[in-house]
Formats: sequence, C-alpha cells, structure tokens
Amino acid sequence: MSLQLVANVVVLAAIYALVSVGYILVYRVSRVLNLAHGELMMIGAYLLVATAGLFAGNPLVALVLAAAAGLTMGIVVYLVLMRWLTGEAVLAAVLVTIALGILLRGLAILIWTTQEYYPGATFGWRNPSVAIAPGVQVSAASLAIVAFTVAVYGGLFIFLQFTRWGVRMRAAGQNPLLAEQRGIRLHGVYAFAWGLSTFTASLAGMLLALDSGVEATMATIGLKAFPAALVGGLDSLLGAAIGALIVAAAEIAAIQYVNPLLSDVVPFVVLLVVLAFRPWGLFGSREQLDRV
Amino acid sequence: MTEPLLAIDDLRVAYHGSAVALHGVSLRVMPQTIVALLGNNGAGKTTTLRAISGFIGLDDARVVGGQIRFAGERIENRPPHANTARGIVLVPERDKVFPNLTVAENLVVVSSHRTDAAERRRLETLVFQTFPALANLRPRLAGLLSGGERQMLALGSAIVCKPELLLVDELSLGLAPVVVEDLARRLSAVRRELGITVLLVEQNAGVALAIADYGYVLENGAVALEGRAAELRGRREIQESYLGQTGGKERRSYRPLRDASATVRRDG
Amino acid sequence: MTDPSAYAQELALFGTRARRVRLALALAALAVLPFVASPFLLDLANQVLLASIGALALMLLTGFAGLISLGTAGLLAAGAYAVGALVREAGAPFWVTLPAAAILGAFLGLIFGLPSLRLRGLYLAISTLGLHFVVIYLGGEYEARETLSTGIMIDPPALGGFAVASGRAWYFVLLGFAALALLVSVNLQRSRTGRAWRALRERDVVAGAMGIDVQRFKLMAFMVSATMTAIAGALFAYFRNFVSIDAFSLYLTVQYVAMIIIGGMGSIAGALLGAGFVILFPYVIEAIAAFLPARFGNMVFALDYAAFGVVMILFLLLEPAGLMGLGRRLKNSLAARRVGLRRERR
Repeated sequence: MSLQLVANVVVLAAIYALVSVGYILVYRVSRVLNLAHGELMMIGAYLLVATAGLFAGNPLVALVLAAAAGLTMGIVVYLVLMRWLTGEAVLAAVLVTIALGILLRGLAILIWTTQEYYPGATFGWRNPSVAIAPGVQVSAASLAIVAFTVAVYGGLFIFLQFTRWGVRMRAAGQNPLLAEQRGIRLHGVYAFAWGLSTFTASLAGMLLALDSGVEATMATIGLKAFPAALVGGLDSLLGAAIGALIVAAAEIAAIQYVNPLLSDVVPFVVLLVVLAFRPWGLFGSREQLDRV
Repeated sequence: MTEPLLAIDDLRVAYHGSAVALHGVSLRVMPQTIVALLGNNGAGKTTTLRAISGFIGLDDARVVGGQIRFAGERIENRPPHANTARGIVLVPERDKVFPNLTVAENLVVVSSHRTDAAERRRLETLVFQTFPALANLRPRLAGLLSGGERQMLALGSAIVCKPELLLVDELSLGLAPVVVEDLARRLSAVRRELGITVLLVEQNAGVALAIADYGYVLENGAVALEGRAAELRGRREIQESYLGQTGGKERRSYRPLRDASATVRRDG
Repeated sequence: MTDPSAYAQELALFGTRARRVRLALALAALAVLPFVASPFLLDLANQVLLASIGALALMLLTGFAGLISLGTAGLLAAGAYAVGALVREAGAPFWVTLPAAAILGAFLGLIFGLPSLRLRGLYLAISTLGLHFVVIYLGGEYEARETLSTGIMIDPPALGGFAVASGRAWYFVLLGFAALALLVSVNLQRSRTGRAWRALRERDVVAGAMGIDVQRFKLMAFMVSATMTAIAGALFAYFRNFVSIDAFSLYLTVQYVAMIIIGGMGSIAGALLGAGFVILFPYVIEAIAAFLPARFGNMVFALDYAAFGVVMILFLLLEPAGLMGLGRRLKNSLAARRVGLRRERR
C-alpha cells in the first residue's frame, strides 16, 4: 500500500473514530443505541453553517458557539425525549432514536433545504492541500480531523478513568440501580452522556463541513461509522479506534483494488463478519449480548 | 421512651397490582440498634427492604397499604434517590459492587451530599480500618474479588454514604461460616463506631441473632415472631425451624410459627 | 364435560353470528368499492392493500415470533429485482416471475434468519440492517452494470391473456393477494407453528427447554416472512411498472416497522390498520401543506419526514400498543362510563 493510501486510511479512520465515540458514550452509560447519531452529526454541521453566517468575520467564535450548541442539543434531546424511556425496554428507546433521526432529517431540509453549504468558504478559508510527506497530500481540514480525534479520545480517556464524575459515569453504565443507591443521579449522568455524545458528533460534522461541505445526505456517514463502534464492543474507546482503522482500511482497500461502488457497503460487510464471529466485539464480553 | 428511627405499620405490598407479597408487616427499629429480619426464602424479607429503600417499583410492586415512617416522615412509594438522600443506604443481595471498577473506584463513586470532603476522608479511612484486607486490594477490579472481599467492599461503600439506616440484604449468602462471623463482628464494630442503625435481613438466624439486639421473623409476608435477640435464640421454635436443632427424640413440628404461642413483646 | 360444539365454534374463523354479519358487510363494501370510488381513492386502496402484505409479513416475524428485523426494504427489493431481471433478461411471464420472487425470498429469509440463531434483540436488528445494505448494494450493482440509471420498465402482468393494467383490475388482484396473506397469517397464528412462535417471543430459552426446536422455528419465521415480503416486492414492481433501487431505502423499512407499531404490535388487525395509516399519512400531510407558506409547500417530502418522525415518537411514548391499544382504551372508557351511569341511576 502506498503512503498516500495509508494517509487516506488514517484520515477516514479518524472520521469514523470521532463519530463512533458518540455511539459508545451513550451506549456505555445508558445502554441505548442512538441510531439518530448520524443525523445529530449533520445538525451539528448545519449549526456551524448558521453561526458562520452570523460571525463570518470571526471563525473562532462561530466554531465555539456551534460546539456549545452541539453539546446543548444532546442534553435537550435527553431531557425532552429520551428520559421518558429510561427504564423501559431498550428496543423501544432505539426505535425512538430511529424516529428522531427521521424527524431531524425532515427538519434539516425544511430549515436549510437540499442545497450544499460550505462554511469554510464563508470564513474565506480555502482548505489547502498539505504535503505531509513526499508524494502524500491531505487536506488541511483532514489534519484537523485527525488532531481533534486524538484530542477527544485522549480527553475522554482521562475523564473516564481519572476523574470522579468519569468513574460515576462508568458506574452508572455497569449497574444503574446500585449507582442510584450510592447517590448518583442517573438522569443527570445520562443527560451529560448525551451532551458529550452530540458534542463530539457536532465536532465531527463541523470538521467534515469545513473539509467537504454540508448537505442532507451527510447523515449516512453516521451509519457507516457504526460498525467501527461495534467492533470495539460498543463499550470501549480503544476498541472503537481499532474498529475504525479496520473499517477504514477495508473500505479504502476495496475502493482501490476492487470496485469504487463498494465504498458504502464495506462497513456493513465488516459489521456482518464481526457479528458472525465475535458479536460482542474485540474487547467486549459475552454478557453484553444478553443485556439486550 | 425514645422514638424508633424506622417504624413500619401494617405494611402491605402487592406485585403487578394483585399478587400480595406482604400482608401487614409491622416492625420497629430503634436508633443505634441492630435489628435482624429473619425468615425463609420468599417470606418477604427482601420485599420489605425494597419497600423501605424505595427500589420497589422495579419489580412492578407497590406499597398498597400501611405506613413506613423514617425519623417521623412517611417514605412509602418515594423515589429511591429521595430515600438515599435521607441516609437510608441499601447493601443489596446481588450486584452489590461495580465489577469493572477497582476497589478504590468503588469507594470514590459514592456521591453524597451528606458529607463534606473531610468527613468523607474520615469515613474512607474507617472503612480501611474496619476491613484491612481491602487496603491491599485497592487497585483490584471488584469483579475479581472473593465473595467475602466483595461483601466487605459493599459494606464499605455503603458506609462511605454516611448512612443513618443501613439495610443489609443477606449478609451471609454464599459465604463460608468463618468469613460470615468475621463480617458480622466487623459490622457490629462499625455500628458502635459510627452510631448507625442496622436492619439486617438474614436467612442464617444464628449469625444474625449473634450480633442483633432485636429480631423479627417473617413468614409468608407477615411477622410471625419477634423479640429480643437473646430470647429468640432460646425459643424452641427458632431453634427447630431456623437453627436446625431438634433437641430430642420428639418429632419436629412443621407448623408455621404464627400458630405458636404469643410473641415476646418489647417493653418500654 | 365441555360442550364440543362450543369448542368447535371457538375454532371456527367466523363462529358467531355477529362475526358472520360483520364479515358479510365488510365483503360487500370491499366488492363495491372499485365501482364507486374515484381513480385516486382506488389507487390509495391499492397501495394500502399492497402494503398490507408486507405489514403482515413483518407482523408475523416481529409481532408473533419476536424476531426483530430491519430487512424489509431489502426483501422487497429482492422480489422486485427478481421480476425486473427476469423480465429484462428473458421476458418471463407473471406465472414464472412470481414464484421466482417467492423462492428468492425464501432463500434470503434463510440468510437473514441465520444471525437469529446466535443473536437476539438489538444485535439481531443490527445484523438484518447490515444484510439490508448488502442486498441494496447488489441491486445497485446490477443497475450500474446494466447501465440502468433510470431503473427497469416492466409491462403489466398478463393473467391468462388478460393484462392487469387498470386500477380496478389491480384492485381485485391485490385484494386477492392480501386476502391470501391474511388467511395465511390467521392460520399460522392459530397453528402449532404460531404457538411455537409465541413461545419463542416470550422466552426462547424456556421454549427450547420445553422441547420446541428453536432453530427450526426461528428460521421458519424468517423464511415465511421473507417469502411474503418478496412476493409483495414483486407485485410492487408490476404495480408501478418500474423497478429502481432508489425506492428501497432504510426509510421504507422504517415505514413498515411503523406500520406494525402504530397499528399495534402482535395483532393482525393492527398490521392492516397500520398499513392504512402509514400509506395515507403522506397524503394527509400533503393536504395540510397546501395551507402552509409556499416555502414549505415546495418541500412536502421533508415535511412528510418530519411529521412522520413526530407521529412515530408520539406513538412510541404515549401509546406503544398502537391504534389497537387506543381502540381498546376507548372501548374500556366507554364501557366504564356506561357502568358508571348505571350505578348512578340506582
């Protein structure tokens, strides 16, 4: 594999990894699979379009505002919608997220139409191509994606392992009942998990928007990133990172050596292979299967 | 006469709206005492604990009659976190620790508004003093602990919550007798040190009555017998039904205790 | 000893007189409809009939046997493409393409069902999702290879020399198929297979312990459901005279899932109600859109998406038992009121 291909794999893996984090956060903490994650990522991208329109001369403000809005979005989704399903069957919650995704798609088109937007252009930024090694070119936005993904993973790892509230979030995911008995307010923890999840999703959406623009079909990337999370067992950050690399490598290899049309289906083939041989992922455990 | 910390009057609990689990349980727990709640499987002990701690809604059960008063306030059918905030802490029978967290993390996890940082440190120190074995196990994942160690950790994390009333569901389940005796003694020591009140649900009447001040025996969802621990230990019914001693050549009686002679009432 | 005739009455499909009267009225209404309804309404009725078949198929799988599947669109596509490919490559007639679609459906049902032997619930749903994308990809590949970017055109099917082209002709054909699907569903529900499926839904581990061959019944559920769905897909191809992969999106699957949820999970009548609701819904939205400012009016499909999402959420949160549940609640409250009145009069 040429170095350029490797670079492409790393960039694609970073995108999938950044998107996967959101699935993992919500699943690990509240046992819900959020199938609206792709749509939430898309809304995050549109949020940047909105703030870019308002603060065209001040990209930093626009970015921070959009990110903050992304965080709030998750908390709102939990408090308004998902909290009523806490304690109910997981499948009902997943169906609600599917419906939410449909609702968001409709809303996005109603508000922003099917037109393509380029918030980067609004800032006057042209996303130059950068040569990171002889013969290897990536876009500047791609570099940003990789950088942010590493930062997010690092930050989340530190948060979950070493801070009091990180431990509490992990506890709530393992045994919600006991967590309540030890004083942890589940609604608060879940809302925060959702907020973090949409925050990372919005980040991914915004970076993708800066790289290649926003339009309504962007949400499918969310679904394509899902197998990466599954390979990690839906539970583990490290697993998701590795899963993302596997899916990205398979996809790029298929596009390059077999057939470009395969790009949309390869992640799901990986998904099926994982489910056939190790449904609980590389790092999960067998009990996970029975929990749902 | 001091007021009971916990007063349950004629408590009735039904599952799924109709299956009755408790038929009018009445009991009193005086402050800073250990009260044992005995009985066989299915007698209603765990249901009683769940009703007190508020976790009753889980199995689709509800308090349908009677009262539970904690420090004078009625607490039946309140949400669990309201009761935890009052200082009612439950050590459950199963799933009593966080298996994928270390011992240290299991203690850190406790989120209590009843203690400030200093008090919290004091409580944690007490836990490691009471259960010195835990001190060496700090980095160990709770899921990898032995049964006895896990129970110690469970009690420890409950203590860090600074409980007013500690509810312990089946202290001895699955543990070797030596381990259980050791745990019971340490629990007694903690009670003395912190002045907490303990309601101990146990199938193993011998262990429970060894450290308790007072005891109740539940049978089929109601109190069949009650009395001071020493007196209960001496009663033939308890010895036969719950302590496995048949005494002599006479045949054992399998009658439910409720048909037996009147209970020994608490005085004053 | 129990009265044997009473038991026979229970077993019979339409034992009571009241039910027989209702059945007669329903049949009369159905027979008259194509002659009194406008072409537009007739087309709506046809769409509902066609959707019912897929809805019943999903109800059997998910509502009865408790096996979650998100593969409906893929199976519909398979049936449609079986028709499309055979018509295009070999000019095959209806009585060849339909069984071919059914066989393809059964085969795919086996494949979609294999994960269910190991996985449950969410993981099973995800595996069917994966398979959906694989099937869609294969259909897309076929289209791309044959450079059929606009899909395959299909002539009206010929039934014994008579071309089914008019709305009225389609009505009777679809009514026939829907009735067949209904009959199959009702019979399965009451049969040994149906009882085995119900046991599976409740607790498949326990069912296995009771001696039910869990694997066989799971696969059977998938295969029966997939065959029905593929047939629906084949009919869909003929009905629209047209097959294109774009029609078979995840949204289509979600619509069918919505049918059985909104109708009422686990109920045959619910599947029919749900099919009616979901098919008619976009038309209602379109009618409402006429009153909205032009900007929204131009994006009716987006409005449809958003409204559909809202309705689905409302049902999931407020009335998970669907329209059947709503109906039951209404009946109960009316009955309660009647009882209350009677008490007051004393």
